[in-house]
Amino acid sequence: MPIVTPALALIIFAAGTIAGGLGALLGIGGGIFLVPFLNLGLNFPITAAAAIALTTVIATSSSVSAGRAGKQLINMRLGMLLEVATAGGSLLGGLTAQMLAPATVQKLFGIVTAIVAVIMVSRLRKRNVILDPDADPGLLGGRYHEDESGGTVTYRVKRLPLAFVTSFLAGNVSSLLGIGGGVIKVPVLNAWCGVPLRAAAATSAFMIGVTATAGAVIYYGHGQLIPSLAAAAVLGVQLGAWGGLRFGSRAPVKWLKVLMACVLVVVSVLMFVRGGR
Amino acid sequence: MNAAQTGPTSTGERLERIIGVVLRVGVTASSVCLAAGLVLEILGGPAAATGAVLLQVGIIVLLATPVARVVVSIVQYVNERDWAFVALTGIVLVELMASAVAALVFNKRL
Repeated sequence: MPIVTPALALIIFAAGTIAGGLGALLGIGGGIFLVPFLNLGLNFPITAAAAIALTTVIATSSSVSAGRAGKQLINMRLGMLLEVATAGGSLLGGLTAQMLAPATVQKLFGIVTAIVAVIMVSRLRKRNVILDPDADPGLLGGRYHEDESGGTVTYRVKRLPLAFVTSFLAGNVSSLLGIGGGVIKVPVLNAWCGVPLRAAAATSAFMIGVTATAGAVIYYGHGQLIPSLAAAAVLGVQLGAWGGLRFGSRAPVKWLKVLMACVLVVVSVLMFVRGGR
Repeated sequence: MNAAQTGPTSTGERLERIIGVVLRVGVTASSVCLAAGLVLEILGGPAAATGAVLLQVGIIVLLATPVARVVVSIVQYVNERDWAFVALTGIVLVELMASAVAALVFNKRL
């Protein structure tokens, strides 16, 4: 376990700010950047890194969803249904994290970051599809007002079993690696389950608070969560996410995505090298 | 807000607002505790002990926020007699409790 100094707290606060800002710009959580920084950069055990990152996921999910509540962008019913799967997966992931060798977790992190990098680049041109506003959303679908187009978007949820299985896997990976898991759920919900991108992202962000809690509680109980460093990371990520949303609209997101995909590939390789030793 | 709200969405709107408040209060309270705790611990001296307590409180409030959100949802679905969703959110609560129990059993902390 690392020794807590004011300097270390400050470094983690800064890292959290950058991770939170990038996360807000890219529409993903900051965990995928924070965990490798703590594990590879500062040599934290992977469990301590994941525990800190999960607390930032909870904070981000809570504040982002609080801001969005009442806009119908979050599909509460779909979210609560899929939470059964993510929380179950997360519970299982938190338990297995205690048994797996750190090297195994690092290799797994390497695989997941490589997949995320591929997803990020392959979805550069992804646009939201406007569907027939008079369609029946069904029991799990949704309807929301979109500011950009000024229209109402209505959608039905398709292939629910696929959404369920994906959510379970996302939950599993989430608590094991300390990431939110939205990066796995959102593309699947959007590409195959009929959920528009913005609704998928909002619903996923809503769900990851519960998902991360199921995992974080286990790390906390095992004494792997360092409160002062988690505090520094949580505050940093909140500041970064606020800044990212406030000033991020002018950022060239497309090139940022390509850049970050490159960073993730490097992270993936480093995790493999470290895990292979 | 648009007028064409029917069925599940209009009842869901109320729940969405309540959940928004729960999340906002939880994340604000925990952030305040964490910020104060961190500053006190860094300052050191006699204040450091208070800081450590505040940090623990902040973490626990943060972890409890999503749990509170699930509990509030269950209450709301019971009011609406939406038993399918009472059952689903009930399962989520059981899963969250299971992770707390697992942490407790394996480590005797918490």
